[in-house]
Amino acid sequence: MKDQFSLFFIIISYNFVGDIVFFKGIHTRIKIILLVVVFLFLLIIGKVFYIQVISYKKLNGYASSLWSRNLPIEANRGIIYDVNGVVLADNITTTSLVLIPNQIKDKESTARSLASILGVTYEDMYKHVSKRTSIERVHPEGRRLSYEIADKINDLKLPGVYLIKEAKRYYPNDTMLAHTIGFVGIDNQGLAGLELIYDKYLTGSYGAIKYFSDAKGNRLELSEIYEQPQNGVNMTLTINYDIQASMERELDNVVSKYNPDGAWGIAMNPNTGEILAIASRPSFSPSNYSNYSTEEINRNLPIWMTYEPGSTFKIVTLSASVNEGIVDLNNDHFYDGGAVTVEGATLHCWKHGGHGDQTYLQVVENSCNPGFVNLGLKLGKEKLFDYINKFGFGSKTGVDLNGESNGIIFNLDRVGPVELATTAFGQGVSVTPIQQITAVSAAINGGILYKPYIVKSLNEPETNSVVLENKPSVVHQVITRESSDIVKYALESVVQNGTGRNAFIDGYRVGGKTGTAQKVKDGHYMVGNYITSFIGFLPADDPQVIVYVAVDNAKGVSQYGGTVAAPIARNILVDSISALDIKKRDNAGEKNYKTGEKHYKEIPNVVGMNVNDAKNLLKGFSIEFSGSGSTISYQSPKAGEKILEEDVIRLYLEDE
Amino acid sequence: MKKNSVNVVLLISVLLISIFGIIMIYSASYVWAEYKFNNPFKFVINQGVFFIIGVVFMMIISHIDYKVYYEKSNLFFIICLILLILVIIPGIGSVRNGSRSWFGIGSFGIQPSEFTKLSLIIFTSKYLVNNERIIGNFFKGVLPILGILFLVFGLIMLQPDFGTGMIIVMSIIGLLFIGGVDFKFFLKLGIVGLFGIVGLIVVAPYRLKRIISFINPWSDPLGAGFQIIQSLYAIGPGGLFGYGFLNSRQKHFYLPEPQTDFIFSIISEEFGFMGILIVSILFLTIIYTGFKISRSSNNLFGKYLAFGITFQIAFQAILNLMVVVGLIPVTGVTLPFLSYGGSSLLITLCSIGILLNISRSQK
Repeated sequence: MKDQFSLFFIIISYNFVGDIVFFKGIHTRIKIILLVVVFLFLLIIGKVFYIQVISYKKLNGYASSLWSRNLPIEANRGIIYDVNGVVLADNITTTSLVLIPNQIKDKESTARSLASILGVTYEDMYKHVSKRTSIERVHPEGRRLSYEIADKINDLKLPGVYLIKEAKRYYPNDTMLAHTIGFVGIDNQGLAGLELIYDKYLTGSYGAIKYFSDAKGNRLELSEIYEQPQNGVNMTLTINYDIQASMERELDNVVSKYNPDGAWGIAMNPNTGEILAIASRPSFSPSNYSNYSTEEINRNLPIWMTYEPGSTFKIVTLSASVNEGIVDLNNDHFYDGGAVTVEGATLHCWKHGGHGDQTYLQVVENSCNPGFVNLGLKLGKEKLFDYINKFGFGSKTGVDLNGESNGIIFNLDRVGPVELATTAFGQGVSVTPIQQITAVSAAINGGILYKPYIVKSLNEPETNSVVLENKPSVVHQVITRESSDIVKYALESVVQNGTGRNAFIDGYRVGGKTGTAQKVKDGHYMVGNYITSFIGFLPADDPQVIVYVAVDNAKGVSQYGGTVAAPIARNILVDSISALDIKKRDNAGEKNYKTGEKHYKEIPNVVGMNVNDAKNLLKGFSIEFSGSGSTISYQSPKAGEKILEEDVIRLYLEDE
Repeated sequence: MKKNSVNVVLLISVLLISIFGIIMIYSASYVWAEYKFNNPFKFVINQGVFFIIGVVFMMIISHIDYKVYYEKSNLFFIICLILLILVIIPGIGSVRNGSRSWFGIGSFGIQPSEFTKLSLIIFTSKYLVNNERIIGNFFKGVLPILGILFLVFGLIMLQPDFGTGMIIVMSIIGLLFIGGVDFKFFLKLGIVGLFGIVGLIVVAPYRLKRIISFINPWSDPLGAGFQIIQSLYAIGPGGLFGYGFLNSRQKHFYLPEPQTDFIFSIISEEFGFMGILIVSILFLTIIYTGFKISRSSNNLFGKYLAFGITFQIAFQAILNLMVVVGLIPVTGVTLPFLSYGGSSLLITLCSIGILLNISRSQK
């Protein structure tokens, strides 16, 4: 530019000294034209400068996309971890076939060889190789190829035929958390569960091998540019793998033992609302989701199922009564004659003949229906239903999962004394498991209702920087800390002295409550068809984990929450002790034995032994085997635990 | 400057720019040449042959007294008119790129319109010398030469070759301007032209669309905007120093016939802003020297002839460059010295020979 300007000034300062006057007019006009010419050249140079500097970026971008052809490279989906970094959803790398028809010179022979390797007809393959497009995929035969097939194609070294990396979702634990994590489709797109909800985070962005091409699609001898795919954002759940594995295992056992219509469980940190485990039966294998019915896939029972809670709901009535100060558990008495009549309706206690005279603590321990009816009537419908609402029943908890139900609570206008009475012991309302565990958490954690959640954080794969983080979210205070302490104490004695004895764990303070609810069909209670449940927590004085388990229509067993669900919940609680490293309590209460009950014996360690040695060592205990093989891989309960001799020790087998 | 010595600045500038043109024709054309003729050197060899012939002619002509053209002006002009008529007759002239502008001799082609460009300048220069006193009179002085001009323009538009036609018209108007035609005439001409353009748009509104597509070529990227977009894709990414010799990407079938009208884009792509600056300086040097020769000549015919030749080169170069950088719509004009085209290079070099002789003849 500088040279141009100096030239310009030389020109305009040019002197016509010595010119003949006659030519003066001509020379002036030449000078004018020269100035115009110089001006136009400066304009052109200026325009070039403008194009190359001002619109450089835009033009270069357009031009690069014109010249370059992309061979896409699929990004990995974000990995899903449990709270301790155990991988719950991973990626494996596969290869897929990509064709660049312009580079395929011999279309017939290329189509023939590819058709025979992939098992596609020659005509179809010929259409693919001669398609007028820059990049052609052979879908679905050419996707996610096995190594053998990919190798065969690679060996042919055909021009215009490329094998590119594709990531495929892999669930190392198969059915574990299937409903919660969900699954992905052929293009790695989230279709259900967390995979769907957080799809935009989990999905990475495509990378590419860019090569330059001429306008006819031929490859130019310019270096390729590798654009790294941007992997999806990793997700950490609040799930604890050990507790989850325990729950999955226990539900599998209950399914094989009792062949129920369904079974489900949730474990939660009552002080935060973090879900530690969540499982549902029937389950499915997310990598073969198309083999299952939509009901099986879509119904995440712990948040979807609504049913009469039965006695576990008494915790709400108990908490309300304690918080309102209408009952002194240790000193107030109630006489249970086996039934109570409310407005002409007779409501029976589950125990034929009733429990006789009891303190209200014993009412709770015995899960005595007439006792709770009395509490409900004392509270009145406004107060009881106010607490029910405040505990979160009748509306979604807002857990970060799809498919949550509301449940159904009586409309207050339609609540008469009978409805009030049945609601007080858990009949005539319809709730979800997640509502129950969330409400009971509030009752035992000092009275604070938390919003449950399962996604702890989303982190960038490279830097691990936080994209999104969920923190415990307080909904509101439901009951006072003092009331909560009393509820904990009452629920601990349910396990020590009452219906929850099957959940007792030696050396730990356990609180809990059983539930047995008749299922309703077409407005009538079904005969001999119950949902039996148990909700338990430990340590009872400072709860760290709460577990809810429900079994729908267990067969071949007396259907009580205490007999079916409590042992399952207990096993999960036992595994939670080690998973969460909860210390033993010196002040743990002793279980109160009923007359004729045997004392506890400590179990020895048999893990690692062969079957016969283990049998010898465990003589006197009843043993159940799971799995196949000759070596014990796991025992439940663990060595050092004390159990009743007639209780079952479960041994898991595997081959060495 | 001593008598009979050659104008070194002009000679060297012309040789430099022509040789650079041949090199760039190779770089721009080998992809297409290989694709179309299976011979990557096809275009560069053709151009090289014409260059050598052209340089020989230039040196010979620089020794021929230019006053001979004054004598033979009418003869040259009539020969050119005959050739222009012959070339539009099917069977005699051959069609290339949609225009019947060529006499095919083997693989070479000759365009009579290229010769006409020079011959009309000679003719007009003589006309201006002979009619110096009446040139101020529109009807007696200007109208006859305008009549001849439009006859030639009409013949060329029958081919059709709008670009060459426009260069001829503009270089003659430039000469008339120098020759003392009243400024008011050019003012009126401008107003008539403006009304003409407005009229053409009113009659056929699609022309407005073409003008808009020139202002924003992306409004019609595969139609009217195609060439200019491809040209901008070559110029834009070039940056300060370009991709380097032979490394243009746009010549790989993106830019159609990159060795002809759009060679400047390829220069810009391979040599960047610096390449553009050097080419512009060479052009300005040639134009400046040409005008200086015109001013220094003490012969009126020599003055007009030198100016006409120089102005024609300048106008054609500016027209081409403005198209290539997107300042005006595509007209189909080649870049003197640089674009591929045998007749054009030959005639341009012959014209430079005349210029050198005018320079040589100065006192």
